Amino acid sequence: MRPFTYLRAPDVATAVRAISAEPGAKFIGGGTNLVDLLREDIEQPGTVIDITGLPLTGVEELPDGGIRIGALVRNSHLAAHRLVTTRYPMLSQAILSGASPQLRNMATTGGNLLQRTRCLYFYDGAAACNKREPGSGCDAIGGFNRQHGVLGVSDDCLATHPSDMCVALAALDATVETRSEHGVRRIPLVDLHRLPGTTPHRETVLAADELITAIELPPPPSGAVSRYRKVRDRASYAFALVSVAAVLKVRDGSVSTVRLALGGVAPKPWRAYAAERALLAAPATEESFTRAAEAELTAATARPGNAFKIELARRTIVATLRDLLAEGSAA
Amino acid sequence: MAIGKAISRVEAGDKVTGAARYTEDVRVAETAHAVLLGSAISAGRVRGIDTRRAERAPGVLAVITHLNRPDFAAVPPTPYTAEGRMPLVDDRIHYAGQYIAVVVAETREQAEHAATLVVVDYHRTSPVPTLDAALSQAYIPRENGLARVPSEYRRGNAEAALAAAPVRVEEEYRTAALSHAPIEPSSTLAYWEGDRLTIYDSTQSVHMHRPLVAIAFGVPEDRVRMYCSLVGGGFGNKSYSWPHVFLAPMAARVVRRPVRVTISRKQVFTGTGHMAATVQTVRLGADQDGRLRALIHDSVNQTSFIDDRQETASAITPYVYAVPDLYARIRVTKVNTGTGGAMRTPGDSAGAFALESALDELAHRLGMDPLELRRRNHADVDPVSGRPWSGKQLLACYDQAAERFGWDRRNPEPGSARDGDDLIGYGMAGGQRTEHQRPAQATVDLTDDGTAVIRSSMVEIGGGGLTTLSQIAADGLGLPTAAVTFQHGDSALPAAAPTFGSMTSGSTGSAVKLAAADALRAAIDLAVGDRRSPLHGADPDDVVAHEGGLRLRDRPGDGESYRALLRRNRINTLRGDGDFQPEGEDAEHAMATFGVHFTEVRINRYLPRVRVVRHVAAFSIGRVLNAKTARNQAQGGIIMRLGAALMENQRPDPVSGRFISPALTDYHVPVNADIGEIDVIFVEEPDTNANPLGARGLGEICAVGICASVANAVHHATGKRVRSLPITPDKLL
Ligand SMILES: Cc1cc2nc3c(=O)[nH]c(=O)nc-3n(C[C@H](O)[C@H](O)[C@H](O)COP(=O)(O)OP(=O)(O)OC[C@H]3O[C@@H](n4cnc5c(N)ncnc54)[C@H](O)[C@@H]3O)c2cc1C
Repeated sequence: MRPFTYLRAPDVATAVRAISAEPGAKFIGGGTNLVDLLREDIEQPGTVIDITGLPLTGVEELPDGGIRIGALVRNSHLAAHRLVTTRYPMLSQAILSGASPQLRNMATTGGNLLQRTRCLYFYDGAAACNKREPGSGCDAIGGFNRQHGVLGVSDDCLATHPSDMCVALAALDATVETRSEHGVRRIPLVDLHRLPGTTPHRETVLAADELITAIELPPPPSGAVSRYRKVRDRASYAFALVSVAAVLKVRDGSVSTVRLALGGVAPKPWRAYAAERALLAAPATEESFTRAAEAELTAATARPGNAFKIELARRTIVATLRDLLAEGSAA
Repeated sequence: MAIGKAISRVEAGDKVTGAARYTEDVRVAETAHAVLLGSAISAGRVRGIDTRRAERAPGVLAVITHLNRPDFAAVPPTPYTAEGRMPLVDDRIHYAGQYIAVVVAETREQAEHAATLVVVDYHRTSPVPTLDAALSQAYIPRENGLARVPSEYRRGNAEAALAAAPVRVEEEYRTAALSHAPIEPSSTLAYWEGDRLTIYDSTQSVHMHRPLVAIAFGVPEDRVRMYCSLVGGGFGNKSYSWPHVFLAPMAARVVRRPVRVTISRKQVFTGTGHMAATVQTVRLGADQDGRLRALIHDSVNQTSFIDDRQETASAITPYVYAVPDLYARIRVTKVNTGTGGAMRTPGDSAGAFALESALDELAHRLGMDPLELRRRNHADVDPVSGRPWSGKQLLACYDQAAERFGWDRRNPEPGSARDGDDLIGYGMAGGQRTEHQRPAQATVDLTDDGTAVIRSSMVEIGGGGLTTLSQIAADGLGLPTAAVTFQHGDSALPAAAPTFGSMTSGSTGSAVKLAAADALRAAIDLAVGDRRSPLHGADPDDVVAHEGGLRLRDRPGDGESYRALLRRNRINTLRGDGDFQPEGEDAEHAMATFGVHFTEVRINRYLPRVRVVRHVAAFSIGRVLNAKTARNQAQGGIIMRLGAALMENQRPDPVSGRFISPALTDYHVPVNADIGEIDVIFVEEPDTNANPLGARGLGEICAVGICASVANAVHHATGKRVRSLPITPDKLL
C-alpha cells in the first residue's frame, strides 16, 4: 500500500468541497472494497475522504409510499429495516445473499453501488486489463473467463458488476441522488453504470467529485410478488454465477406486471427489458417464461469458459418466475 | 481411564480467549520486518532490478536480491527442504510468485510500501502454463528422492489379464490443484547471536526442519534452536521448509537484527505448495461376479521446473483390493508452477477419486451393489507383501456405516429418487492409507506436587495431540488429565515424530506411553525399596498406579500418593524416558488405516448445484484416543475433501501460468452453510501389533474417498458421471 492523506468529513458540504479540491481523491465508506484495492495497489488515491460521519444513515418513508435510503446506511441495517422487509423483501434477500455478515455490517449503500468488478485479471496487477490500465489489453478474453459476462460485454472487457443489492434495485426502479459543487442530480439506477465499449475504465456516469447521498425507491407494485434468486458455486459467501430479481403479478392467467433484472452476467445490474416486453400480457406459463428468457438471451455472447451462463441464466429466470407464479396463486 | 474419553482440548481456553501464542504472536525486541517480492511472470529471467527508490523509502533497512545476497553454505536435502533451489541464488524464474527480492524495514507497512517501488525488468520466455499443456511430456522421474514410494509397481501381467476380463472399465479422471489454505499464513522470526540462531517458525516439525536451516547457514545443528508451539492449520504445507524460512535468517544476518517474515495471504497460495493437479486413468477388468482380475492405475501430475515431486496418486492402489494382476505408475510433467507438497492426504485422496469412481462405474456396469463389489474384493492380507494386517476392521466399517446411513433403501437406478425439485443420490466409496511410523522420544516427569510434565518437541497443529498425549500420560500414571502439562514445540526437547503423516498418535503417542511407564516403574522401585512406604517390600509387579499414587493391585487400601512418596524422599522429579522405534521393513504385520464413506446429495433439477446433506463415514484406526478430538478431526478431514469434491480449484491462467485466484474470496473452500450432517463411526480394536499404544493415525485416512463418494452420489442422482473435479454446477447443466 502507498501512503495517502486521510480526511474525515463531518458534513456533506465539506465532503463535496474536499473532493473537488483534491483531484484523484476517493471517498471511503465501509472500505470493504476500497481498502482491498489500495492494498493490491490497484487504486492509488493521494487522499482518502472518510464519509462515515455524514448524517446520511436514515431509511425514511416518502409521501408516495416509497422509501429514501441514506448513502451511508449499512447493508445489514438496510436488509433488516422494517420498511424494507415489509415492502421490498426482495431487496433484503438480495443484500443478505451477498458477502458475509461482517462485511455487510461495514458496507454502505453508496459503496455497494460503486464497488468494482471481481474480475480476477483486474485484481492481478501482473495481468493486462483495460479497466485497470486503459489500452493494455484484456487477459480474461483468452484466459479463464468462467466468471465473466455474457450480456453487454465488449471485446475490450468481459468484467461483470458484482453487486447483488444493485440487481434488486434495478428491478425496483431505484433512483440515485448525488451532490457535488455543481448541485444535486437524480439518476435512474439502471443508467448509473456504463457498458464497457472501448472505455471499460469509465464505469459510471458519475463525475469524480460526485457524492452519492441517497437512493429512492418508488412504492412497490401493488399485489405483486417478488424474489431474488442467486446461483453460485457454494451455499454462501460467493459472488453470483447468475442471479435474478423478479417482480410478478398475474391477473386472469396473464402477466399484468413484471420487472426482471439479472446479476452475474453483465457489466452492470442488467434490467431485462426484452424479457419484460415478451412477458407483459402473455399467459403466465412456463412456455412464456422460457420464451421471455430466450428473448433476453439472444443478445448474449459467450466465451468458452462462460457459455454455461446462458443456459444457467435461462433456467434461473424460468425457475424464479415459476416459483413466483406458484407463490402468487397460493396467496 | 482417560484414553478414549471425550475430553475438550487442553489448549481450547487459550485459543478462544486469544491467549494462545502462534508464531506471529511472538515478540522480540528490535524486530525488523521483511516483505517478499514475488515474480510477476512465470518463466524467464530477471534482466534488471532497480531497488534504488525502495532503498530510499522511509524505514527501509535493506533490499536483498540475487545480485547482493549473501551465499548459502549449502543446499539442504529435499524433500523437507521444499524446493531444491535456494531462493535468490540466480536470476532465473521458474514460477510466478517466486521470490525475487526481500525488502526489510522497520515496520511491515514500510516494507510493503517499499516493495511497490522495486522496478523489475523481466526477460520473458514462454511458459508451460498448465498440466494439459505438458501432458504429452510426462515421464517417470529419474531421481526419486522426493517420493517415499516407488514410481512403478507391477504384479502379474495386468495388460493380459485386462484383455481377458469379461467386463472392463477404462476411464480418465482429473483432480484439480488444491491449496492447503490454512488460516495461519506461514511466519518465521529469526535472530542471530554470533553463530547461534534462534528461529520461531510455523512448522509441523521443529526437529525435521532445524537441521535444514543449520545446513543452509553452515552452522552446527546444536547452534540452532527452533520453536513452534501452535500451528494455525498446516495440512501438510508446514511439513516443509519453504524459501521464506531461509530468507528470514539471511535477512537477519544482513541487517544484524531479528527479522520477521510473515508471508501474505496470496503467498500462502504460491509460496507454500499445493496438491498438484492430476490426470489419471484407471482400467479395471472383472469377472461377471465382480471379482477383480486386473487393475491398471496410471497417474500424471504437474511438477515444477525445480523439482520432480510426485503426487503419489496410484501408490496405495496395489494395497487396497485383492487383485491378482496389477500395474500402477506415477509420472510427472514440468509446468511453470511452484513445487507442490504433501497435502492431506497426499496421493491417496486424489488416487481414491479415480479408483473408487471406477469401481462405482464397474458396479453399475455389472448391475451389482457397489458395496457388495468392494466386499467381494476385500484384501484379507496385504496383497503386496502377503503379510497379515496389524488390524483391519474394514468389513465391520462397511456394515456399520451402511446401516447408519440406510444404504439398503437405495434404489440402484440413477435418477430414481426425488423430493420435489430435488434429485436425491446415494453414493459410497472406500479409502485406505498406509500407516507410517517414525522414531519418537519423550520424557514424562513425575513431580513432587503430584503432577506430571510431558516433554517432547511435538507441535500442536490443531489435531488435538496435546490433549491425547496428555491423556496417555495421565493413564500411564493414574493421574487426572488436568494434572498433566506439556512442554512442546522446542527443538531443545526430546524429538517427537513430526506432526504430519498421521504419526502423532502412533509414534509420539507410543513414546509418551513408554515414558510414562518408565516414570511409573521408577516410582514403584522407589516405593518398594523405601522402608517408610506402605508398599515397602512388595513385588513391583503387584503395584499399580491409582488416583495420583501407587497401590497394590489386589489390596486397594494399601498405597500412597506420588506426592507423599517423592516429598519423603526429597525428590523433586522422577523422570521417565520413552523412546519409540518402529519395527521398519521386517515387521511381522502390514499396517494401514481404512475407511468407508456414504454420501447423500441433493441437486435441484433446474439449478444443479450439488448439496451434500448427509455423510456417514466409518474408520478402522485401532484405538481411539479421544472421542471428541477424533470426531472433530474426522469431520474436518471430510469437510476439507468435500471442498475438493465440489469447489476447490487452484487454477493457473491458461496463458501465463499464474495462479489467478490467490485469495480466499476466489479460491472457494466450504463455508458452514455447505456442510450438512456428518456422522462418524470408529470401529475400534486396540492394535498392539502396530505399536504399544494400539492406536493408528486418523488425520489422513479421514480425508480419503470422499470425492468419489460424492461423485458416485451425483451419478446416482442424475445419471451423469463427472470425472473431473470439482463438480461445479456448470458440469451438470
Ligand atoms: C470477500 C468479499 C465478498 C463479497 N461478496 C459479495 C457478494 O456476494 N455480493 C455483493 O453484492 N457484494 C459482495 N461483496 C462486496 C461488498 O458488497 C462491497 O465491498 C461493499 O458493498 C462496498 O461498500 P463499502 O461501503 O465498503 O464501499 P467502499 O469500499 O468504502 O467504497 C467502494 C467504492 O465506492 C466509493 N464510494 C463509497 N461511498 C460513496 C459515496 N457515498 N459516494 C460516492 N462514492 C462512494 C468509494 O470511493 C469506492 O470507490 C463482497 C466483498 C468482499 C470483500
